[in-house]
Amino acid sequence: MSVEQHQQALLESYNGSVDPTVQESAHTANQYTEMFKSGEINKDEYIEMMQDIVRVNNINRSMDNMQVMEHMNTAINGLINLASLV
Amino acid sequence: MKRIISILALSILSSCALVDAYLMTHYDPNEYQAITSIRAEAQLFKSQCDDPVLSQANAVKVATDTQYFVLYSEHIPRNDDLISASKDLHAIAQGLADQYSKAKVSPAFCKIKFTSVETSADRMQTVISRRPR
Repeated sequence: MSVEQHQQALLESYNGSVDPTVQESAHTANQYTEMFKSGEINKDEYIEMMQDIVRVNNINRSMDNMQVMEHMNTAINGLINLASLV
Repeated sequence: MKRIISILALSILSSCALVDAYLMTHYDPNEYQAITSIRAEAQLFKSQCDDPVLSQANAVKVATDTQYFVLYSEHIPRNDDLISASKDLHAIAQGLADQYSKAKVSPAFCKIKFTSVETSADRMQTVISRRPR
């Protein structure tokens, strides 16, 4: 597959998904590919930046999990406080 | 009424996720300070990317600080999500330091790397700040 074919696949991911994470990742990957094609970044830099898209997504997923836990913690403590007041 | 609410709370707590949420790691000012420093450094360093000598030292500094953050977080109990995120953050920072040690680094790459560190640290700082007190 050529670079253009991969870019087309990325564009299809971007257009075909309603998930903002997929859309943002596809958009960023496309942007990096354009930078690589124009010679603004070299091959090693391009590979590293593409790997960073996965790393950033992993960080966001972990932070989403923590936020859910924090909301649950607030709700549980609210219930406990309520119980102690009754 | 008190008994009913206590029973309700206990029955809800029987779910594993809820137990994890109830016992989750509390706010730690040292952890918050460490992630704030990383974010502030990345914010400053991305504006210095046109100076390759300074930027190489900056890249090493951020990689060292993110490694410290991994080491600080990794033995805190019930902290799996933050440990995982801190390792990814360090990998982003280390990737820049490694490129500087191998070859000439483009200013565009340097700016994007520091921006990735900054935005990820910002997200982590927001979540850390909301840990239960």
